[in-house]
Amino acid sequence: MIDRRGLLSFGCAQCAVLAGGKAFAQAAEWLAPPRFQRPPLDTDEGGLWAFMDREEKRLRRSPFRMGDKALRDYLQGIACRLGADHCPDIRVYALRTPWFNASMAPNGMMQVWSGLMLRVDNEAQLASVIGHEIGHYLQRHAVERLRDAHSRSAFGMVLNIALGGVGALAQLALLAGQFGFTRDQEREADRIGVILMSKAGYDPHEAARVWANLRAEAMASGEDPAKRSVLFATHPDSGEREKTLAELASGRTGETGLEAWRTRIDPHLLMLLEDELHRGQFAETLVLLERLIGRDGENGRLLFARGEAYRLRAGEGDVGQAIANLEKAATLADAPAVVHRSLGLALQGEGAGERAVQAYRRYIELSPEGPDVEMIKTYIQGLQRS
Amino acid sequence: MKIHRLVLAACASILAACSNVAVVEHGDALVSDRLSVQIDQPWNRFENSAAGPIPTWTREGFTVDALQFFVAVKDGKPIAPARDKAKPMIFRDGMQAHEIVSLFENFYTQDGSTFRLDRLAPDSFLDGDGFRFEFTRLRKRDDVRLSGVGWAAVSGGELTAIVFTAPRIHFFGAEIGEVERLAGSARLR
Ligand SMILES: [Zn+2]
Repeated sequence: MIDRRGLLSFGCAQCAVLAGGKAFAQAAEWLAPPRFQRPPLDTDEGGLWAFMDREEKRLRRSPFRMGDKALRDYLQGIACRLGADHCPDIRVYALRTPWFNASMAPNGMMQVWSGLMLRVDNEAQLASVIGHEIGHYLQRHAVERLRDAHSRSAFGMVLNIALGGVGALAQLALLAGQFGFTRDQEREADRIGVILMSKAGYDPHEAARVWANLRAEAMASGEDPAKRSVLFATHPDSGEREKTLAELASGRTGETGLEAWRTRIDPHLLMLLEDELHRGQFAETLVLLERLIGRDGENGRLLFARGEAYRLRAGEGDVGQAIANLEKAATLADAPAVVHRSLGLALQGEGAGERAVQAYRRYIELSPEGPDVEMIKTYIQGLQRS
Repeated sequence: MKIHRLVLAACASILAACSNVAVVEHGDALVSDRLSVQIDQPWNRFENSAAGPIPTWTREGFTVDALQFFVAVKDGKPIAPARDKAKPMIFRDGMQAHEIVSLFENFYTQDGSTFRLDRLAPDSFLDGDGFRFEFTRLRKRDDVRLSGVGWAAVSGGELTAIVFTAPRIHFFGAEIGEVERLAGSARLR
């Protein structure tokens, strides 16, 4: 009925690719509007807010919400730094979802997905996305879209579906899709994002790097990025957008907040990497990991993830790469215990029985209460018999 | 009566599957022409489901409880078609239990749901050596926490598995005993 995967891709960060062109390249000055009042419920805008309030209520309790208070406060802090006077009206939710996306609803609810958090190099890059979303909010783009005659009928349909009780996230995605922003709105949000970043003391050059990084990942899958993903499919000018963002940033400087970001995201890194591996897009994941290893150095979790990407892809020559990465990860303190299990599986697949037994034993030693110890013991018995 | 209403509910949500629904009463049932199972009570049976062309049985509607059958998957074939351009979940003869579980892990996380392995141990299945795995899945669509249990075995180079998922609260506990009996009766023809 609703193909959620397709719809999910319609979030805001995706439409952000639309922006580009020279219209706002001059970065003319722009003044933020005063804080918004809650619109009356009997107006179209009031209805939209009420719909989003309901969604937010669900989001607040969602098990996918990342609960770490330090991270929450930190994200809220960035939004406040960028949103200034509007800070009390903006609420940021970190969601565990392995795709690159962020979105902001007209009632002030902002979502930042974990797939985005895994992919930004530093705080300034994160701020560029949050600033872009705040740009949509301050210019009330969603309301503009709602009033567009074409969208209005779509909104009615969405509302009907919502009342019919379809999965709540699907509703939201559907809504985001129906009210996908226009190219001009995206350009405007981009321009405001850079102004807000700059005002807040971030280096606005980082905005363009977000998209350069994403493009590098898409290229790695060996396909034309324009055809590769929804992110790029409808927006052939992503390169142009990157260029425009760089132009907007020129002459401005600021901080990147590299250490601040690494400190915040580090406690979540392993979980985010495991979720990333579930996407099964190993070529992209390997490019991402290369970049993260470049940033953080070779730590046990990153090498574990790289080993897993090779092991699970199981293409030509991959098993060797998997073993090399997992073996090295296994010597590093921050690698999870399962690194030994993965190493055992890779070695056993290669016919290196004795070394596999050693790895399995190490795994059992480190997690004697592991959920799969019985199974591992049968592998060991099987290898010792042969 | 109850079943009919539930089938209707399921149909309303997944139109495409409607034409394929049938009720399995009791006794001996054959899945995908190869797998026979003994059942005590009727199930609503879908040859296709929202999850793909995988035979799926349910009592309450397959967004609630779902019993899925992966029958005689050959070497080099996926356990289920992957969505979009996601990695195909290809079975290879000679895979370890963990590697087979990884296929199901991929299958159940395609939509952004989470999968946590709670137990994996040897077990008898298809009247031979196999394994049983238990997991918890947080379903992305509606935030529902599902418990899952599966049995799998490779026989003659072909992978066969039965996986049951249902909300942890109430449904899983209510049906697991029957599902265990059903899985225990499974034989490949
Ligand atoms: Zn946007």
